[in-house]
Amino acid sequence: MGSQKILVIGGGISGLTAAVEAAEVGYDVTLVEQTPYLGGRVTKMHSYFPKLCVPDCGLEINYRRIKMNPKVKIITQAEVENISGRPGDYEATVKVTPRMVNDNCTACGKCVEACPVEIPNEFNYGMDKCKAIYITNGMAFPQKYAINKEACDGCGKCKEVCEYNAIDLDMSEETLTIKAGGVVVATGWTPYEASNLDTLAFGKAPNVIANVMMERLAATDGPTQGKILRPSDSAEPKSIAFVQCAGSRDQNHLPYCSGVCCMGSLKQITYVKEQYPDAQISMFYIDIRAMGYLEDFLVKVQEMENVSLIKGKVAKITEVANGNLKLEVEDIAQGNKISPEVDLVVLATGLVPSKVPGDINYDEYGFVAPDNIGIVGAGCAKKPTDVSNSVMDATGATIKAIQSVVGGGA
Amino acid sequence: MSVAPDKETVDILLMQEEDQALFKICYQCGTCTGTCPWNLVRNFSVRTIMHKAQLGLIDFGEEDIWQCATCGACVSRCPRGVEIIDVMRAFRKIIAEMGVAKVPDSLRMSVKNIAALGNPMGEPDDKRGNWMEAAGVKPFTPETEYLYFSCCVPAFDGKIRRMATSLTEILNKAGIDFGALGNAEKCCGESVRKAGSESVFMSLAQSNIEAFAGAKKVIATSPHCYHTFKNEYPELGAEFEVMHYTQLLDQLIQDGKLTFSKEVKAKVIYHDPCYLGRHNDEYEAPRRVLQAIPGVELIEFPDNRQSALCCGGGGGRVWMETPVGERFSELKIEQAIEAGAEVLAVACPYCMLMFDDALLVTDKEDVLKIKDISELVAEAI
Repeated sequence: MGSQKILVIGGGISGLTAAVEAAEVGYDVTLVEQTPYLGGRVTKMHSYFPKLCVPDCGLEINYRRIKMNPKVKIITQAEVENISGRPGDYEATVKVTPRMVNDNCTACGKCVEACPVEIPNEFNYGMDKCKAIYITNGMAFPQKYAINKEACDGCGKCKEVCEYNAIDLDMSEETLTIKAGGVVVATGWTPYEASNLDTLAFGKAPNVIANVMMERLAATDGPTQGKILRPSDSAEPKSIAFVQCAGSRDQNHLPYCSGVCCMGSLKQITYVKEQYPDAQISMFYIDIRAMGYLEDFLVKVQEMENVSLIKGKVAKITEVANGNLKLEVEDIAQGNKISPEVDLVVLATGLVPSKVPGDINYDEYGFVAPDNIGIVGAGCAKKPTDVSNSVMDATGATIKAIQSVVGGGA
Repeated sequence: MSVAPDKETVDILLMQEEDQALFKICYQCGTCTGTCPWNLVRNFSVRTIMHKAQLGLIDFGEEDIWQCATCGACVSRCPRGVEIIDVMRAFRKIIAEMGVAKVPDSLRMSVKNIAALGNPMGEPDDKRGNWMEAAGVKPFTPETEYLYFSCCVPAFDGKIRRMATSLTEILNKAGIDFGALGNAEKCCGESVRKAGSESVFMSLAQSNIEAFAGAKKVIATSPHCYHTFKNEYPELGAEFEVMHYTQLLDQLIQDGKLTFSKEVKAKVIYHDPCYLGRHNDEYEAPRRVLQAIPGVELIEFPDNRQSALCCGGGGGRVWMETPVGERFSELKIEQAIEAGAEVLAVACPYCMLMFDDALLVTDKEDVLKIKDISELVAEAI
């Protein structure tokens, strides 16, 4: 006997979209999310291209749709350990790690003041600190705290100060079995590990940052409250180099094009210029991939003052005096090597798909293959995709999952 | 009138190379140019050469074709896996074998010497084994465990001979059963092959493979010989195992067959030979040997291992004139001194030639010594 439910794996923008789309046409949905909060990577973005709007409004609408819809069941801190079955009849084994904070939590924040354990803040890519009991940001959903189990020393100070009896340090791990007729895999991506790019100084020179870190530096709820400052000395950068294909289109790293990094950097150039109109910006690229109507955005950036888009892949970055960076790159239009020096380097690191173990076919790079039936990839788990296309893709994936429920069970 | 009048000729010539398609996958990102050490001293766009090849616009008369020192830095970073050295070699082969342009004079002389006398210096081939008796090396027979191949440079160059004699001293002390072929061996052919003289390489390889008959394990002083024996001779029928001498020393130290009784108190900086490191992925054995020597403090160049800066002697460049101010070896001498080194340790005869020369030119002989790893080991046993 098959199941009429839909399982959505991953609570980022693709998974959220799939969950509300399926629920709003009447299907029961279980949405499992590995972290304590929904929203995924987009919650860490300062803005989207090409409209340069903040992610908050889109997320807020989706959170509202989910909260209002009793057909969506959300399980956070849930990791799929295995998935098996056939169209119409799937079974997932899901490990749920304890939040140690219950639904009484009002997010008042007294526990944070009391907590003595400081850890690098993963939400801000380690650029600041947070406590072992934390909430990622003001928009976080669910709006309640979570305890980092590895970091917590069990002192109980949070429990002492909590006025709502919301802390339960005895919560334990559990394993669930979830049945579904169709599955949407929306596990998203992680940034390519920039320290693997051993010639580009990431992890050695503090003023070489990854593009995802730039998003946090620009975000008002980020480690610098939205003021873009370079990490080594909190100085305002006067010159910034954007280094494209930092790992992507490179058989030594990610052989595929990560699809969104060109537009990501053009977007970042735009908001950097808003903050620092006189800054000297350079962007080094192999090819600029601005598809369809995004060409207009590229043209706008090309016309900006003090912005040079230079064809040439950066071969090497060395830290020089004052934490500045020297780049080694061929200026291909000129046919000679140049060695510009800048205050800050942003590496446009690519997208690595996140995989789920089980009966799922992946392509050679780890993206969900198109030949799965009943288990459907959506968004960046399927291919490198920007936010608006992820939303459209997730809607399409939902109909495939519904077809699996309807057709597969028959 | 065609914009690329030579394209057809070039295509036909390159089609004769089985690797002719290699440069066609290049997507023109310039990583090669950004990586190539020539750009530390002069402008050299590797990418432009690849591009011209793609368009059939290669000018075989241009000097740049002979510039590449085959250090492999670009190849190791190329995002498309273009075998840039093989492309350069193909151009040189077309020039050298088909006579479409001129081989630079100094290189032509060395190739001629190798072809005629089996060594690049033009020394009489019946004097090749002269160094052996004084050093205490017995002639190799099929019963001998190891065949030692000294490389032409230590065999004929009195100043570089110390690489062979100190290794001999160590191996004798460790009780290793080894011998050398003397006059029966010839240059391994690595640099002639990189200079495009494929037919000369083939005849050298065949001659050596015959002369090596009975050898099961070969020890090479030069990473260039090591590379060629290990990666190129097997295709021509060679069936022996080959070790670089630092690998053997490392093994002897680990097995307790080589022990030290003296200290060598010195700050030592190690230069990775391209043909041991990038070409054959051996970065650690030489370092372990140096670290095992009592008193040695091993320090590193800012760019080391996979990113190491070449001495400038590969790809036949060792036989060619490089203007003062454009020599990588001089940059490396400066870097070594800046890092506080007292000894620059090498593991390749070409590197030693290049650095000995650079030390003279830069007049730094009182600050820095160039020593082979075997010399440092020999001082400590």
